Amino acid sequence: MAYASASRRLLNLPPSQRVTFFTSTRGFSVLNRPPPNYEGHVPLNVFERGALAAGSAVMSLLNPRRGDLIAALGETTATPYFIYRLRDAMLCNPTGRRILRDRPRITSKSMSVEKLRALPENTVGQAYMDWLDREGVSPDTRDSVKYIDNEECAYVMQRYRESHDFYHALTGLPVFVEGEVALKAFEFANTLLPMTGLSLFAVTRMKPAERSRFWHTYLPWAIGNGLKSKEVINVYWEEELERDVADLRAELGLERPPDLRDTRKTLREQRKTAKEKSEKMSGLMADSP
Amino acid sequence: MAVGNPSKALSPYICSSCSRSLKLRSRKFATAASPDIYDVVCVGGGPAGLSLLTALRSSKATSHLSLALVESQDLDRAQKWHLPPDQYSNRASSLTPSSQSFLSQIGAWSHIDTSRVQPYQHMRVWDGLSSTSRISFDSPAPEPAIAHMTENQNIIRALLARLDSLEPISLLDKTSITDIHLGPPPSSPAPEHASLNLSSYPHVTLSSKHTIAARLLVGADGLNSPVRTFAGIQTRGWDYDRHGVVATLKLSSESSHNPENPRGVTAYQRFLPTGPIALLALPGPYASLVWTTTPTQAARLKSLNIEDFIATVNAAFRLSVVDLDYMFTLSSGQLSELQWRESVSPNTSAEANGDIPAYVTSVQESSIASFPLRLRHASSYTTHRTALIGDAAHTIHPLAGQGLNMGLADSKSLASAVEYAITHGADTGSEMNCLDKYNIDMWMRNNRLLGAVDKLHWLYSVKSGPVVPFRGVGLRAVDALGDLGLKRWFMRQAGGL
Amino acid sequence: MAFRPTALCNLSLLLRQYPRRSYSSSTSSVSLTEVSHFDKLASSWWDPNGSSRLLHQMNPLRHDFISSCLDSQPEPPSIAKRRYLDVGCGAGIFAESAARLHSTESVLALDPSSEVIAVAREHAQQDPLLLQPGRLEYGNKSIEDLPTPKSSQDQFDILTLFEVIEHINQPAPFLCSCLPFVKPGGWLILSTIARTWMKLAYDKGCGRGGGQVGAEGTHDWKKYVNEEEMRSFLGGWMGGGVMGGVRSQGVVFVPGVGLEGGGWWGEVGELFLWG
Repeated sequence: MAYASASRRLLNLPPSQRVTFFTSTRGFSVLNRPPPNYEGHVPLNVFERGALAAGSAVMSLLNPRRGDLIAALGETTATPYFIYRLRDAMLCNPTGRRILRDRPRITSKSMSVEKLRALPENTVGQAYMDWLDREGVSPDTRDSVKYIDNEECAYVMQRYRESHDFYHALTGLPVFVEGEVALKAFEFANTLLPMTGLSLFAVTRMKPAERSRFWHTYLPWAIGNGLKSKEVINVYWEEELERDVADLRAELGLERPPDLRDTRKTLREQRKTAKEKSEKMSGLMADSP
Repeated sequence: MAVGNPSKALSPYICSSCSRSLKLRSRKFATAASPDIYDVVCVGGGPAGLSLLTALRSSKATSHLSLALVESQDLDRAQKWHLPPDQYSNRASSLTPSSQSFLSQIGAWSHIDTSRVQPYQHMRVWDGLSSTSRISFDSPAPEPAIAHMTENQNIIRALLARLDSLEPISLLDKTSITDIHLGPPPSSPAPEHASLNLSSYPHVTLSSKHTIAARLLVGADGLNSPVRTFAGIQTRGWDYDRHGVVATLKLSSESSHNPENPRGVTAYQRFLPTGPIALLALPGPYASLVWTTTPTQAARLKSLNIEDFIATVNAAFRLSVVDLDYMFTLSSGQLSELQWRESVSPNTSAEANGDIPAYVTSVQESSIASFPLRLRHASSYTTHRTALIGDAAHTIHPLAGQGLNMGLADSKSLASAVEYAITHGADTGSEMNCLDKYNIDMWMRNNRLLGAVDKLHWLYSVKSGPVVPFRGVGLRAVDALGDLGLKRWFMRQAGGL
Repeated sequence: MAFRPTALCNLSLLLRQYPRRSYSSSTSSVSLTEVSHFDKLASSWWDPNGSSRLLHQMNPLRHDFISSCLDSQPEPPSIAKRRYLDVGCGAGIFAESAARLHSTESVLALDPSSEVIAVAREHAQQDPLLLQPGRLEYGNKSIEDLPTPKSSQDQFDILTLFEVIEHINQPAPFLCSCLPFVKPGGWLILSTIARTWMKLAYDKGCGRGGGQVGAEGTHDWKKYVNEEEMRSFLGGWMGGGVMGGVRSQGVVFVPGVGLEGGGWWGEVGELFLWG
């Protein structure tokens, strides 16, 4: 009898205590959604979150161009534990704490294009600008965070997303699939966000040569460097714009991977030369009696 | 202090410490060869020693025994101890219901200044890492309080006042011990007439050059007990690599700690990985802080300015462990860190519910102090004609607030064993007929408590790994299953009921 | 149920010894074999882990029994302090404890074994309270050697015979010698081992361990006395001027637990009696 009443008591716990078993999900119904914690916040319950995660995972694999789905996947998989861990990693670090206090946003307003272009070669700012130009993107193309309940963690996610371009600049990895996957592997080892790990499924969409390069070169580089370097989320990019990239890399304990664009260019040229050669050879053979 | 009828008449003209030594000198039979023999000599005038002597004097069966107390401090000062109502000593203890009933039973509770006693009805305990796991203790009806917080000096003063009202004892204060040895062996060949053989009696030589002999020598003389050394009793234990930081704090006036609050007064304890921090209510807006932490953090705390110290204490109850660890890396600026973190995640509802304590607003001057923590347990509490009580017998981690209570329980048990011996004609110094009863009663009980508290300290100092979530689940489970009596069982064990 | 194979035999022995109120000093209760046995045990008597350990453990229970007897008196006499006579005191386990009581005026303790009395005297020197004049006096003699009491000044409030009767060859005349020393309104308290099948099994089976009181060779099962026999013997004295009645309590030693006292244990273990 006592056990029956105890279990009934456990199930009938007040809402505040029920929440404690799942630190971030809420037990509410869709008809009774709690108010948003910040502008753009969309509170989801467990089932909605799960469904969105699954759906966006599948769809973004099929169509990696859907940035919004990738964003949704990132947000729904970051809780309950991972985004808190990332936020705590920032709280442990003096610079990370300053970032959380100041809450800087990387937008086209805060990143003045003219100033960046005027910076010398090999600076972080110059590399970043170069990047934006080459890939034809702007700082404003990042989606804003919607599905993370904790306001501070939502900022952390936003900061991570906005810093992504700087990570490209830091590592020199290009923005097409091969480069992105390598960078995601690095981010997974460094930030532990699940979405970065899930992105590795995109390996299935790569060509055999690309896949081979990935397994042999870029994945080992990503894991090794991601684990041993300092947390890149703690870099105050706005203050590092005039810094030499190699310098910053050295401070972070990061090695540059083999330049992917150069590699592919070289390989393309090699293939082209080989093709021309073989064509010549076959032509010669055809011509000979 | 009154020392007998003639001295009582003369007492306005003679200072109490002089009249005490007068009594000693006036004993006609005291010589170096045949020292004064007391039924019980208690070394150490702390709560344990004083409560033992009070218990013996206030029980009819043992009230006629000749008792002596040897204490190195000035007991006059202890009896005259006085602090204004807005100041509290930083050595305060939480008296369990059984300690309080023992003090009532021996007549000391009526001499306690109850305006300096704070009963509390609730206790909130939670874990630093699994931050949402908490357990609440509430006093079971019909007990009005879980425990009573009061200063140790208040207890000592009350015991001295009670002793003053009873048949006099020899109070040898401002006196230390220079030597303890057994009496001389019986002369051989044996003399024709019967002569006293004190070879088994401990003889205590004092700094005043007197020697007194004891039928039963009681060591209530603290951690490095000379009586325990004389008895050859070993201790085992270890140092915790932790320091206890204490202070007297003042809380904000709109607190749930307010005694007028119909919900009652609450004590708080949070288990951080470095050790628990406890805030125990004192009367009014005051509270006693006991923070167990690493020696490095304790040193940092003591080096902070008052503002930052207060902010760190407030942070310890409100912020995450990550924030708190970061704050300890700073030599100043903790206040601004606290303000920022609170603005990001405010705790207003938790405070309103009484889940966390009210803000600390100030610290009493010179009340911040620290002491190293250790576990020690004597391998036995008794040997022939010698018994140990209080800290001489055991030293415990303060996380369960049991140290002083254990000492009082020892006194109660030993007084009861002595009473049994007296009413059955036994020699109170003999192990078989008197002291074994005390040893059997208390040693195992104390050993269990020391062990449990030690395990709890270990359990809560783990920062990561599988223990952490299970620890949180454990706390939540015990709280949820409160009705099944598990919590009540814990409280009974802790309350010594 | 208790097994008493020689009950009838012993009872008739007792009845045959039905006393007359004249005491012949030529009849001594002392058995020389018993005395020499205890002489050998003298030195270990006070060793708490020696052969007398159970006696030490049992001593507080004796005081409890005496207190319960005193409490049961309808009109307690108005004496401030009591005088004890402890017959067969051994090395003074009970005598010392009685002398220490706050309510005791004096204790006279007798034992026929000189070795044991010497040990008793030596041990008493360790306690200043016992050395107070008149507090505790030892005599190496038997009860028959004491002069007949002429007035109540020579009599005692409490006469104790602890673990004595079982060592006396002829208990009846011995008890007759003791009774005159008890003041009117006073007490004769004795304890002995009940002669039951359980005790027989203990003695035969356990040897020195278990419920054996004292060293091997100390007790002879045939000399044990049962409660009924004692009651009927004392009952015979009702007409002979013995006032009051008989109270009894049993005690049994439970290995691992200690001594347990209670009403019905007298069927199986030790028993206390008064008259």
